[in-house]
Parts: sequence; structure tokens; C-alpha cells
Amino acid sequence: MLTIEAFSFYIMMCVLAPLIGAFTLLFLFVFEKRIDLIEKEKNEIVLESELQKALYNQLNQEIQPHFFFNTMNSILSLARLERKEELIYSIETFSKLLKHKYKTNTTFITIEDELSYVVSYLDIQKIRFRERLDYQIDSEPVVQKAITLPFLIQTLVENAFKHSFEKKAGKAELHIVISKQESMLCILVANSLPNEEQQSSADAGTGLANISKRLNLLFPDDETSVDITHSEDWTTVQVLFPLVYQLDLKE
Amino acid sequence: MKKKGFDFYIQGAVQLGIAFGVVSILARWITGNTILSSPQTLIRYGLIGGIGYAFMGGLALVLFGFVARKISYTFTGQMTIGDVLKQKLNPFGYWYMMILLFVMGFYALFIQTMGAGLLLYILFPFPLFIGMTVFLLLLFLIGGIGGLYRIHQLAGISVILIFGTIILIPVYLYMHEGVTTIFEGIRLYHPYLLFTKNNESLWFISTGLLVFFGQMITDRATWQRVFIIKKEKVKMAFVLTGMIWLTIPIAITSLFLLAISGRSFDNPYSLIFELISILNSTVLIFIFVLFCFAAVMSAASSELQSLNSLFIRNVVAEFKPLSTKQQFKYKNSFSIVLIGVLFLAALFLTPYPTQLLFFFGNIYSSMIFAILYIVFNKDNETLPPVLSSFVGIVGGFISSPFTTYFESVWISFLLSGILCGLFLIKKSIQQHSPASLNSEEQPYDAN
Repeated sequence: MLTIEAFSFYIMMCVLAPLIGAFTLLFLFVFEKRIDLIEKEKNEIVLESELQKALYNQLNQEIQPHFFFNTMNSILSLARLERKEELIYSIETFSKLLKHKYKTNTTFITIEDELSYVVSYLDIQKIRFRERLDYQIDSEPVVQKAITLPFLIQTLVENAFKHSFEKKAGKAELHIVISKQESMLCILVANSLPNEEQQSSADAGTGLANISKRLNLLFPDDETSVDITHSEDWTTVQVLFPLVYQLDLKE
Repeated sequence: MKKKGFDFYIQGAVQLGIAFGVVSILARWITGNTILSSPQTLIRYGLIGGIGYAFMGGLALVLFGFVARKISYTFTGQMTIGDVLKQKLNPFGYWYMMILLFVMGFYALFIQTMGAGLLLYILFPFPLFIGMTVFLLLLFLIGGIGGLYRIHQLAGISVILIFGTIILIPVYLYMHEGVTTIFEGIRLYHPYLLFTKNNESLWFISTGLLVFFGQMITDRATWQRVFIIKKEKVKMAFVLTGMIWLTIPIAITSLFLLAISGRSFDNPYSLIFELISILNSTVLIFIFVLFCFAAVMSAASSELQSLNSLFIRNVVAEFKPLSTKQQFKYKNSFSIVLIGVLFLAALFLTPYPTQLLFFFGNIYSSMIFAILYIVFNKDNETLPPVLSSFVGIVGGFISSPFTTYFESVWISFLLSGILCGLFLIKKSIQQHSPASLNSEEQPYDAN
């Protein structure tokens, strides 16, 4: 049987319990926004620093002399052959590519924007590779406004060129498929002429690790994955992360 | 979201953070039943029962938080539990579940109305007919016409009122009466309350946890809240709600201890009347009455709104596409029919609170594994959830004449669990069989 002391303790608990409940609720109302803000700021700082690293990697990887000079040579050839229309288009595309590269400094962009950048890049590569290169982009309309990391698809596409198409002769086929899988966004980049294993484990590995790290920062509570598979004829990279729309983030 | 659209009626205006999420869930789960079951639990199971009642409700909310997170991330863009069932089940399974949901939904609404009726009957001198008319009219205006936006506006006021009452009245009365006097009064008149060795209360608490969890996992209004709370905050919102919710029955129990100290009583209902009689101040009585009314109204309007949403979005829309005007028209007609039936039921029936809490215990406990299977299983399979819940329900009801009520709830739960477990084992064996491994999807090949 309860003693008077135990009963008093019980009553004290009963009287204090709703006070604690009410204070917890009050605390949430007062500090929730502040806690959110601090967490968001912290994430943004880390994301920005990671983005800087990614940009640095991108610049090192892509604006390397041979890409730059090869592209310039291709453009020069067009000028010499007086193929004016193609020349204008090439310079325009090259300019867009450089502009996008130097101007992108946000932590995320839409699939639509990232793809327009990738298309510019592929157009430039098309001038270099001509008939050898065939690319196809399949993107569901529902994912166009979904967010992705800047240079995510670009890194995967560049890896295909750097570790495969530029190293081996033969038809270069590239497929980019972006689809919705339940609540996830799936980005799949597949290239023919499989990547050279040694190269991919080093340089491409850095790019993929950077993507993985940035995804974890952007979606700290969610499942994300970056997987690379090699078959006899193809190398496929699949990236999965939550499907979030730009509008949702603004809210 | 258009303010005049039906989606606005279902979801309100914005995505909620933790604080507003907690308020919204609290308003749904502090119900007339919380007030009416507390004295009965106290009388039957003593102080341990009183604390246990609070903990089983709180723990059920905390546990649901983990399920809610999965729901929120897996079924992005959905609005109701019906949307999820539609996505995961074939038509047979969908309609089976929908029928159960409507039965449970109507029953939950019925409980709230009965609770309101009982409170009105006990607290006010005028005929029940008048009180019920006023209550149901307000219910129609808030839940039937107002929608979730209006419910949220009133949820804040309701929660402030509830906390204000349960903080103010116990402090005032215990300071006024003194703990020793209360203790002596209880020891003299109700010494059985003070015994802590009470195995039956543990049985009650564990079964109650099942029933509460089953109620939450099938609750239409709670699912709607899962979809309007920000994904990354949904788990924390439910966990905190659980912790805050449990403080309320504890405080209510302390009030009833005051009411029975030093006197006898006729039945558990009369405890509210006894409580009113010791609140020797008109202001305190007024606050207490408002508290009861707010608790019942917020829960009932949430239930009505969620049933309306489910009816229009997941039943009528399955048969014919509706314009916005038609959606509102059908919704209003459905609300009026529901309220009419409730009015008649409340006038002619007088159920007992604990019966109310546990009446559908078999169904609730059978649905736990079924819903968990639907939420956590990646494939769209109808048979396991439907069969397990059906066998659980039937098993529970068949066993009830030969067992105690608590045992039959556990039988329902275990039967459905065993069936779901068998399906999972079968599936796992099939997945690891050589034939299945050979036919696994090959890596992406563009050719």
C-alpha cells in the first residue's frame, strides 16, 4: 500500500506533469524556428564548402588544356571550312557552358537546369566526336522541377568521356535516364565502351565520393545511394535520392 | 493550394512544423474518452492503472512516430490513408480496408458524440436534446464546413484551454485541501486504490497499448496529419506529442482522486459530477466545462473532417469524377447524414466509457500487422494484409465467449501477426531460391 510520502510524490508528479507538457510545447513554439535556422545554416555552410570542392574538381577535370584546345581546334576547323551556322552555334554553346560553370554557386538546382548544362557540354563534345558520339536523354516530365546537386549529372557524363570515350576507339553511346521511383529520384548514366577499371577506381571514384558526400549533406535523414556497375559492354552509374521539388523547399 | 478547392478542405493551408504538428495531434487525441475513461480506469485498476492509462496512450503515439516517418517518406504527395491503400492494394483489398475504416471512423465519431452527450447530460441542467443539437451544429460547422484549416485554428485554443485547466485546477484544489487530507480520505473510503501490487492492471496496460496503437495506426485523421507535417519533422512531432499527451490523463486522474476523497460514489460517471461539486467557484466550473467541451469538439471535428475527406476522395471519386462544386455538395450531404445518425444514437443509447474504449479492440489489434505490412513492404501485395486482418478479427470474435476480453484482443493480434510472419517467410524463401536469383534484373543495358 502506498505511504503518505509516496502518495505526496505521486500527487506532485500529477500536478507537475501538465506543467512540463505545457513548457515543452511553449519551448517548441519559441525555439523551433531558431533551431531550424541554425541547422539549416550549418548544413548550408558545409554544402557550400563541398560545392566549392566540387567546382574545383570540375574545373580541374574539365577545363583542362586538352578539352579546351580540342574544342577550340574543332571550332577553328568550322571557321576554316566556312560552316558559319555551325560555327555560331558552337561558340554560343561553348560560351553557355563556361558561363554556367562560373556562375553556378547554389547548393542545388533543378533537373531541368542541370540538363540544359549537360546538353551544352554534349553539344561541344559532339563537335569533337562527330558521328562517333550518340547520346540520348530520357527525362520524365514529372521530375523536371525536382532538385539535384549542381554538376551531379555533369560529373557522371564527364567520367564517361574521360575514362571511356577518350581512351577507346569505337562507337560512343551515352544514355541518361531520369525517372521517379516511388518517392525517390533515380538518375542513371550509362556509357558503352566500359570504363578502364584502374582509372575509374581513382579519379572517377573521387567524383562519385563527392556526389555521395554532398547527397548525404543535402538529405541528412534520408536514404541516398550512388552505385556503379560494369558489364561487358556498358558502365552504368545509378544515383538515388529523395524526390523533392523546388517549390517544397521554398515553402 | 486554392482556398476554394477540396484539397484545401482536406489539408488546410501549409505544411506544419513540430510545434503546430504537436498541437494538431494533441487536439485529435485529447478526447472525451480521455476524460471519461480516466475515472473508470482509476476505480478499476487503482493509481497504477491511472498512470498506466497515460503511459499506454503516450507510448502508442511515440511508436506511431516511427511508422509515421516511413509513411511520410514513402507515400509523398498523398493526402489520406485511402490514397495509400489505393496505391498498395488491388480493388478487393482496397474496398475491404475502406469498409473497415468507415466502420471504425463512424464508431470513433460515435464515441466522441456519446462522450459529449454524457458530459452535457452530467454538467448541464437542460435536456440532453438541446445540448446535443448545439454540439452537433458546432461539429457540422467546424468539421463539416470549416475543414482542416478551421480545425487548426481552433486546435490552438483548445490545447491552451486544456493545459490551462489541468494546470490550474489541481494546483488550486490540492493547495486548498492539502495532500494529507486527501490521502486520509482515500485510505478511509477507497483503500484499494493505493495498492500497487496489481497484476490485472499490467494486463490492462499491455492490452491497452495494443488497442491504442491499433486505433492510431488506422486513424483517418492521424494519417492526414502525417501528410501535412514536414517529412523530416514527422517522427519528432509524434514522439513529443506522446510525451506531452501522457501528462494529461495523469493530471485528470489526480482531479478524480480529489473528487472521491472522503466520500463514496454511485458509478464512475458521477465522478465528474462529484468533481464539479468540489469546484466551489463558478469560474473554475466554467473553465472545467469548457475544457471538456473543447476536448470532445476538437476530436470529433477532426474525425468528421477525415471521414468526409475519405468519402469524397476515396469512395465517390472511385465511381465518378467530381467537380469542386459537386465535391462540396456531396461532402455536405454526407456530413448531414452522419450527424443525423449520431443525433439519434446519442439520444437513445448510453454506453460505458471503458466499453467504448475497447469495443473494437479486436479489430484495432488485428489491423496493426496489416497496416505495418502495407507501409513497410515494398511490393504491392493484397493477400497478406487482408487475410491476416480478417483472420485476426474473426479469431478474436470467435474466441471472445471462451476468453476474457483482453485475451481475445491478444488472440486477434497474434493470429494476424503469425499470418503476416508466414507470408514474409514464404516471400524470403522465394527471393533466395536459385530460380529467383537467376531471374534477377540485369544491369541497365541500353541495347
